[in-house]
Amino acid sequence: MRMRPVFAVAFSAALLGAFACGPREPPTSAEVVAVSRASIPADPADAVWHEAPVHVAPLLLQDMVEPRLLQASTGAVRVQAVTDGARVAFRLEWADTTADDLPLPARFSDACAVQLPTRVQADVPAPQMGEAGRPVEIVLWRASWQAVVDGRGDTIQDLHPRASVDHYPFEAAPAGAPRQEMAARYSPARALGNTMAGPRERPVEDLVAEGPGTLKPAAGDSSGRGRRTREGWAVVLSRRLPAGLAPGTRSQAAFAVWEGAREEAGSRKMRTGWVPILVEKKP
Amino acid sequence: MARVHNWQIGRSMSYWYPESRPQRQFAAVFDINKCIACQTCTLACKTTWTSGKGQEYMLWNNVETKPYGFYPLAWDVKLLSELGPQTWNGGTYEGRTIFEAARPGERALGWRPGDLDYAHPNVGEDDCAGRVENGASLSVPHMTWFFYLARICNHCTYPACLASCPRGSIYKRPEDGVVLLDQGRCRGYQECVKACPYKKVFYNPMTGTSEKCIACFPKLEQGLQPQCFVNCIGKIRLAGWISTPDKAREDNPLDYLVHIRKVAKPLFPQLGLEPNVYYIPPLHAPAPFLQQMFGPGVEDAMATYRAADADLAGLLGLFGSTEKVVPRFKRQGDVVIGMEENGTEIVRVPLREPIHVRAATDPRFGVVRTNCP
Repeated sequence: MRMRPVFAVAFSAALLGAFACGPREPPTSAEVVAVSRASIPADPADAVWHEAPVHVAPLLLQDMVEPRLLQASTGAVRVQAVTDGARVAFRLEWADTTADDLPLPARFSDACAVQLPTRVQADVPAPQMGEAGRPVEIVLWRASWQAVVDGRGDTIQDLHPRASVDHYPFEAAPAGAPRQEMAARYSPARALGNTMAGPRERPVEDLVAEGPGTLKPAAGDSSGRGRRTREGWAVVLSRRLPAGLAPGTRSQAAFAVWEGAREEAGSRKMRTGWVPILVEKKP
Repeated sequence: MARVHNWQIGRSMSYWYPESRPQRQFAAVFDINKCIACQTCTLACKTTWTSGKGQEYMLWNNVETKPYGFYPLAWDVKLLSELGPQTWNGGTYEGRTIFEAARPGERALGWRPGDLDYAHPNVGEDDCAGRVENGASLSVPHMTWFFYLARICNHCTYPACLASCPRGSIYKRPEDGVVLLDQGRCRGYQECVKACPYKKVFYNPMTGTSEKCIACFPKLEQGLQPQCFVNCIGKIRLAGWISTPDKAREDNPLDYLVHIRKVAKPLFPQLGLEPNVYYIPPLHAPAPFLQQMFGPGVEDAMATYRAADADLAGLLGLFGSTEKVVPRFKRQGDVVIGMEENGTEIVRVPLREPIHVRAATDPRFGVVRTNCP
């Protein structure tokens, strides 16, 4: 079928316009607004993120407790949020020219975290990891964990492809429980159930803290997904809404970013203070 | 920062926590003169503790050749260079410790080795300090030299690993002074790896935590010496309990060697950690090198060792003579006796082993004897 000339010109212009402009830029907001949707997106590339307002949070040096970070790295993090009334998903995006996801000596993973007060109250705890008796809940994502979830193996050859290992003593034990029991003897962190010690099934961890140096694992069902973008990382971290943070209410959230290439880990990080967050009601 | 007393540097110094000495302190003496770098200690440790995934490059015990051997690469010279001048005035250290030289935002001066720094555990092995030129002759100290330095965690009185951990995951046991890293609490920030000047904390990439020498504490708790001690075929090592100088006892083997006869010296005392592994310096190496490595008094130590009397030589004979820790000893004539704290005898060693010389030929059969077994 032949197109009529007038229709063909209009169609071409529309097509050109769509490609030239790309997806619509989401609006910006002075606070984090968790927009209400029927379901929350799991992927940072989901189209729904084009509709959620962006809060650009400047990042500050963590230079209050030792070990401190004294040279600023990541400048800001773009924060978006979506809620379905029960859970909230945050999308954090920041610039990072290097993808650091190898756990090796003197190598550190890129990472980010969302922190919320355990209780919604006007007088929020200290933004630096909370304080004694006034805990904060944290969801932490690490690029090195994402790499494992995405398929990187759990052997030294996955980190050093040319590494040669003669033999592990536990390989002599019969396969199954006896071998696992013997392997655990040489992996005390795993034997003790340290959540750092993997192998990992999700790239995030639920944590609770009552001040610097008190971070510990917490029961939680957070999930996450991180992707490299052209400029750096985009990560979705989702969790249940904290008790009291019902749709239509406000609270505070804080964010942190670690740049692995700058040997940032633990308290050596770029972080925000408390940022207001509004959880939208269902329309 | 607190002020604490460090007897090895003859003064008080700054440390992250107040002075809190254990009820008794695990300590060791290594006689460098006897070490042949066979690495049996290294393998004894490796097979016992670090044969798992992620521990492939870990050597809680290693033996390196000085001056050009290092594990990890340049562990000591790199820090010494960053620390700057390290001057002593007699027995008092006038330079800065790694705690006093800490950069802003840090708790100790340190650096973090990368994976390539761990990739060559045998670098410098058997390399001499210089070329052997024509006309060289053998005298002490040797014109060209090297020696073997066996190393484990020093279970320091003022551990830098412990001071640097922001989570308090490292602790010093009050009952024996052993420094341990809580594998349930560590989150792998590698601050301890950076701070330990001896580089005896290692990051495990499979567990995401750091690990270190535990002084074989399950053996210590049974009164037994660690694996690297009892497997040493050169019998260079003795484990025990050390007192502070003011409480030194003549019948305590460690006190006797370190405080009474002063033949055993700490490794880089100027760093300020009060390390608890002591070394009898090698007689053939030049004193200036040894003074930098073991602090003041090295030449006196070597003179005492060279002219060892019956008590000292006898005690050296107790090295490697029993698996048990020997808290007390005494000499009776030509015999040295190792004892439990309550005086119960553990082991008895002659001052000199009896020698039997067999004639090279057998006149009865008119044949030459061979030494083949």
